[in-house]
Amino acid sequence: MKKNRGAKVALAVLAVAGLALGTLSPANAATRSTVVIVDSNTFTSLNPSQPDHNLVLNGNVAYLSSMGFAYYNNKVDYVRNTAFGTYKITKRTASEFKVKYTVNKGVKWSDGTPITGVDLLLSHILSSNDYSIAAGLGDPASDTLQSFDSLGYNGAYNELIKDVSIASDRMSVVLTYKKFFPDWELYGPGPSPVHTLMALANGEKKLGTYPHNVALKSKFLTAYQSKDTATLKKIAKVWSDAYDITTVDSKTNPLLLVGNGPYLVSSIVKDQTVTMKLNPNYNSGPATSGIETVVFKTIPDSTAAAQALANKEVDVYEAIATADSVAALNKIGSAVNVDGFAISSYEHVEVRSGSAQGVKDKYTGPFAGYSQQAKDLRTAFLLAYPRQEIIDKIVKPVNPKAVVMNSLQYFPGETAYKKMVADSGAEKFTEGTQAQRTAAALALVKKYYPNAGTTGVKIKMLWGQPSNPRRAAEAALVKAEEAKAGFDVDITPTQGWSAFLEDNKYDVQFYAWSKTAVTQSGNYGSYKSTESQTGYENATVDEIVSSLETDVLTPAQIYAKYVAVEKILIADAVSIPIFQWPGVVAYNSDLKGMDPAPLSPTVLWNVWDWHF
Amino acid sequence: MFAYIMRRIGTLGVILLGSSFLLYNLAAISGDPIGELKISQDPRAKQQIIALTRELQLNIPPPFRYFLWLRGVLGIFVGKLDLGSTRTGESVGTAILSAIPTTLRLVFTASILAMVLGISVGIVTALRQYSKFDYSMTFVSFLLFSLPIFWVAVLLKQFMAIQFNNWLDKPTISLGALVIIGVVIGLIVASIAGGARRKSYSIFSAVALSTMVVLWILQKINWFLEPGFGPIFFFIASIGIAFGVTQLSVGINNKSALRSSITMAVVGLVFYYPTKWAFKLSNQTLVLLAMAALTLLSAVLVSLFFAKIDKIAIIRTSILTGIFMGLIRLLDQLMSTWPRFISTDAINYRPVPTVGQANSLLEPGDYWVTTLDLLMHLILPTVALTAISFAGYIRFARGTMLEVLNQDYIRTARAKGLSERTVIMRHAFRNTLIPLSTIIVVDFAGIIGGAIITEKVFGWKGMGTLFNMAINSFDLNLLMGVFFLTGTLSLMANLVADLLYSALDPRIRTGSGA
Repeated sequence: MKKNRGAKVALAVLAVAGLALGTLSPANAATRSTVVIVDSNTFTSLNPSQPDHNLVLNGNVAYLSSMGFAYYNNKVDYVRNTAFGTYKITKRTASEFKVKYTVNKGVKWSDGTPITGVDLLLSHILSSNDYSIAAGLGDPASDTLQSFDSLGYNGAYNELIKDVSIASDRMSVVLTYKKFFPDWELYGPGPSPVHTLMALANGEKKLGTYPHNVALKSKFLTAYQSKDTATLKKIAKVWSDAYDITTVDSKTNPLLLVGNGPYLVSSIVKDQTVTMKLNPNYNSGPATSGIETVVFKTIPDSTAAAQALANKEVDVYEAIATADSVAALNKIGSAVNVDGFAISSYEHVEVRSGSAQGVKDKYTGPFAGYSQQAKDLRTAFLLAYPRQEIIDKIVKPVNPKAVVMNSLQYFPGETAYKKMVADSGAEKFTEGTQAQRTAAALALVKKYYPNAGTTGVKIKMLWGQPSNPRRAAEAALVKAEEAKAGFDVDITPTQGWSAFLEDNKYDVQFYAWSKTAVTQSGNYGSYKSTESQTGYENATVDEIVSSLETDVLTPAQIYAKYVAVEKILIADAVSIPIFQWPGVVAYNSDLKGMDPAPLSPTVLWNVWDWHF
Repeated sequence: MFAYIMRRIGTLGVILLGSSFLLYNLAAISGDPIGELKISQDPRAKQQIIALTRELQLNIPPPFRYFLWLRGVLGIFVGKLDLGSTRTGESVGTAILSAIPTTLRLVFTASILAMVLGISVGIVTALRQYSKFDYSMTFVSFLLFSLPIFWVAVLLKQFMAIQFNNWLDKPTISLGALVIIGVVIGLIVASIAGGARRKSYSIFSAVALSTMVVLWILQKINWFLEPGFGPIFFFIASIGIAFGVTQLSVGINNKSALRSSITMAVVGLVFYYPTKWAFKLSNQTLVLLAMAALTLLSAVLVSLFFAKIDKIAIIRTSILTGIFMGLIRLLDQLMSTWPRFISTDAINYRPVPTVGQANSLLEPGDYWVTTLDLLMHLILPTVALTAISFAGYIRFARGTMLEVLNQDYIRTARAKGLSERTVIMRHAFRNTLIPLSTIIVVDFAGIIGGAIITEKVFGWKGMGTLFNMAINSFDLNLLMGVFFLTGTLSLMANLVADLLYSALDPRIRTGSGA
């Protein structure tokens, strides 16, 4: 009896102690499998291939929910996704160029339906003006709305690809090009779940059975091949409207959420969060490493995002890189890693040499034309441009390793960068100290304007929105240094500045170019006389860029052409780069596998490698 | 009167027309909606420019495009209001309709709190003019006036969310902190209470000491992880409420009123456990409605039982007591949900969020957990907005009350021998509310306009965010939609304020022209 009571007391004490321990030490030891990512946008559509909905967050959601034949990695290589399928050139003669894309047997949509070549055909409908016209879906080049409200029309795809046909086993498609094109890989087809599009067009509200889905696929193929306007228009309506939803819950039609990527949308709270869960049937790409739920949370304010990170509400935040934001993120402490990385945007300055094509009035400012005087004045302006000072005062607080960028094609750090700088003659603008360069510039200006030392040559500069403090600081530095070289620079900010890029009122403009893909023609397209916003005209540049855009070239030949263009641009003194934009990502230090890429979707590109 | 209203509405239309034309054109020339696309190297930018030009009719010059917009707006008279579509193709009407509830949820609570707190503190300072309390509240109100909201928000997030959550991991208060908290609270209470030096000292030491003791006990019983009142404290609080409400409403000398409020407190205690059971039922909305109805019913029955004369005043007193007790009971229920709430995977022992409207990872189904989550998301923005805006009400209420107290009719009321409570509550307070009512009406119209900065800092998407988005992305239709709504509302509110003033104050007549 007594013993029994003792045992009871001991048990009670243990139980109380256990309870107390249970309440005192939170049970947060379990392995996490949810990652919350900050995005400053709100979600507007499951289909980002429409012009209205081509927004970062929509694109990121689509990136996670679909896998195609290739993607960019963090070294800017275009990696082939062999888990999904393969592609190879099947015919290449002077007049013919054909590429065959084959989907692997066994890869599946999330509803279990096998992915076949039929699923690759929609991208042709979405990008080919010719097909759209032939199938009676409207002329995308006209001003009226087409059946498919697609972003793909009127682009290079339409100019290059003649036809897409399906192979007899229905696992492959063959793209027939009008002629060979160096960047053909970027215009390959992507998979779309056409059976769900057909089902949605029929008004179905539930996932179909396997035979039903296969039958729907065949019907789509027939419609594609016979250019059945009525059926295609029904699909177009679904494709253009049905995916524009901002709320997803249990009442949402599951047909809209079918995909083949690692994560699929499971719920969306309007303007707040997009929740994506692991796709149980995922076998179209690299295997995931343990993250089961990815949440995109909309936080427009950068301070709010940093504090949410400190409060462990979010795990990943790609910040707008300013000195303040980096300082705030670093202050959070060891719970958060802050990594800088380079993004594929670069600030550059362009000096006007003429009127852009299509602009009626003639540019008559001090930099007009290609006479020795105009060239000297442009050279003087660029010599006095305080690039090192801009980097020291504006970029280094964000990225301490930042350096002046001296090639319009290669970023500092890329393998070819050093050689290019040596070969292109970039030292014309880097020799000596800034004071020496400015003095040389003043001497050049004084040749034509002897009074430049006292009354400067009037220059108007375009640089952007007054609300952008970094640009305002840059402009102020430029004004101060150019004054010493005999230029009186007007840096009045311009509301809606980008509308004035072709405006002859402005003699100089600086802004950033942002790369979205790596192409053989590189970054020089905007210096062709047909494209140049500052009216630059040079027959040799036009010829080289056209050749880069269309010819089959070896890497050595490509490099030689790049050097040739840069040499001419430097000699004509029309444009120099300033710096590469820094990016910064802050994330929960428990999260492993983060390795951001320069090109979109930057931090997300290897989400399958992430784990806690 | 009718002619006056019609005339005012006529002017309102002209003002709206003129200002919308001006704003439309100014906004249109301020930026280029496709500017960013023009400098984009994205090969698909061209197609985007074509699509946007088509959908936003950018090829028509703004002064003419305005009339296209106006045609859609004038559709309101045939029941087909069309405010155009945003850049992303969403109808502006839909966007605004989905933003209004968010804005109301955020700004409405804060405004009500600011009004109630501001007006009551303002009136008390007026009653104690030139006292320590008056001076300290004047200081506080000017301090709050001058604080920028984004900075307040950052501080609140740092201390009330991040630090609090960290602290909650191991919720103990060190001895030093205990003493500091006690002294600070003691000083505040003593300065509010005022009075002679000796009284001040005793109040200070009593409050400081009891604060320390209470906090020490609370942390010993692990109250911060498992908070709650329990039936005993619920009853004590109810008795306190009963006395307080009776005093303010009819005076403590009205025995029947006091008896009926105290009976309400007893009834509340009796129903403590039954409500605990009811809160576990499945349809909580219904349960809450039923409880509200039961509270009202019992308040009426109890007061009818006690009241002999002046029944209405006593019923009012009991109902007020019942409402406050109900709020305390709800608070207790929320507290008892707390342990369940913070131990969910989605919350993971960090209950105070800094951003957003709700935690989307929380499993739905538990009514009280979801409610608590919504409240936790509401708490920081509400505190920030209230802190900023209630200072204005303090100053205004104080000034008006002082002016009213100097009126002849107050002296007359006192000379008649009315009790101080009757003079203040019935003669002074009611007349103070007349000018305040006009401010409140205009402020409410402003509420719909949203709180641009607060919404942005706390990641809420209401009217303020829409306005901000419209400006930043040069979304003209969205901008005009927000302007149309807020402009109309504020003009209407001015009209309503004028009419209300004339209705409340018989000395003022509208419209006769004389």
